Amino acid sequence: MDLDRFNRLLLESAGVGLALADPESLSIAFANPRFREWFPGHEAATPRLDELLTGLDVERMRSRLADGRPYRTELELKLNRRAMTIAVDVKHHEGDGTDLLVVECQNVTKLKELEYMVESYSKMVERQNRDLRKEKERVEKLLLNIMPRTIYEEWKEFGVTAPQRFDRAAILMLDFVSSTDMDIAADPPALVAELNDIFTSFDRIVEQFGGERLKTIGDAYMAVCGVPEPGADDPRNIARIALRMIRYLQRRNATQANQWICRIGINAGPVVGSIIGVQKYVYDIFGPGVGLAARMEALADPMGIMMAEDLYELIRDDVTVHDRGEVEVKGFGTKRIYSLEGMSDLAISSHDDW
Amino acid sequence: MARSVLERYGGFPFLSRVVLGFYDKVLDSDVLAPYFEDVDMRRLVDHQTKFMAFLMGGPASYTNEHLAQVHARLGIDRPSFDVMIETMRDTLEEFDMEDGDVAAVLHELRVRAPWIIAAPGTPAASAAG
Repeated sequence: MDLDRFNRLLLESAGVGLALADPESLSIAFANPRFREWFPGHEAATPRLDELLTGLDVERMRSRLADGRPYRTELELKLNRRAMTIAVDVKHHEGDGTDLLVVECQNVTKLKELEYMVESYSKMVERQNRDLRKEKERVEKLLLNIMPRTIYEEWKEFGVTAPQRFDRAAILMLDFVSSTDMDIAADPPALVAELNDIFTSFDRIVEQFGGERLKTIGDAYMAVCGVPEPGADDPRNIARIALRMIRYLQRRNATQANQWICRIGINAGPVVGSIIGVQKYVYDIFGPGVGLAARMEALADPMGIMMAEDLYELIRDDVTVHDRGEVEVKGFGTKRIYSLEGMSDLAISSHDDW
Repeated sequence: MARSVLERYGGFPFLSRVVLGFYDKVLDSDVLAPYFEDVDMRRLVDHQTKFMAFLMGGPASYTNEHLAQVHARLGIDRPSFDVMIETMRDTLEEFDMEDGDVAAVLHELRVRAPWIIAAPGTPAASAAG
């Protein structure tokens, strides 16, 4: 096979569209079969590049070529109903007695399709990521309702949390004396709304003094200071929280029909804190510190706060109390107990005005 | 959680081959191609990518209302829908998807027929016939 024939065969069967055109008139001197297939209309006597390649920016092409640079563009066309994207590359060829534009066209439809698909898919994934992030935040918020943040961080990182011993956690237990007497049957939603209201206010008070609401059981409320991070002021803070809860209820009762009468027990003592449960987990504390707080609550007057000597010894310089003498506390032996009446910044008079 | 069809076949690389394969077949089909003659390529690829990902349990979701809205202008009839199902089957089999998974994907597609076919009339009746 001689070289001429080989070259012609190559030109005719190539997947690339090739054409030669006059730089001035843009009339096409030669076009291979592929070029003719993609850009039909060669029947005209002198087909012109700018006529066949609709969408060609002639002005820009000329200015690029005048700078001695190639001109590249992408053209959309439709062939046998198929949308195609053709990359067109025009170069100015001068010398050897020739002065021609060499036009090279490649079918980049597949690339384009792939590009659109990647675009589409990445948008989908981005949206999914956004949704997942939102969901994660929602779950995090829920989990933070049932466990302290530091415990949550540990649990998130390691998948487990080790039970921790706290030697002097400050615990508060509150229960309502009379809510069970209220006419629940009459208007349960209203009762729940009121309780919700009260607990939300308690939460704010607890938060204000660096404590955590651990849980509520029915109308009982339990909060703690110093878990999981102990602080020197925990015993005083639990007393401040208790006093403010009483004052909040006193003020509320003064203006509302339903009277909410509580008892509060506070204590400082050893507890163990841990996430309990596998499927239905909750962060909880238990131990003698909790047990004694519960006993104190049972011994408290209505709208009163009771503590045993354990806590009193820690805060005696800052509180006003009534010494209630020694009593036998089940499980704890003989304990001197005190009802908390006030602190330097807040006093309650628990007996007089309920 | 069970892994989706898409995850089991390798995610995006697999999806991209299936979508482009399906796209080619659809546009080569005398029955299906006319529907898309005036549809912008970018939009078509976008929709096919999302819809295919959706059928394979990927990161996309379509409500039935959305599907109806996307297909309303096309006016697809039941015979064309059936051709589309077969074209999809060919494509999935070509890419070596297992029979059970092919059936699952086609099932996902079939149950959405009422929202893809324009003015479905009585889809149950025509399905039986």
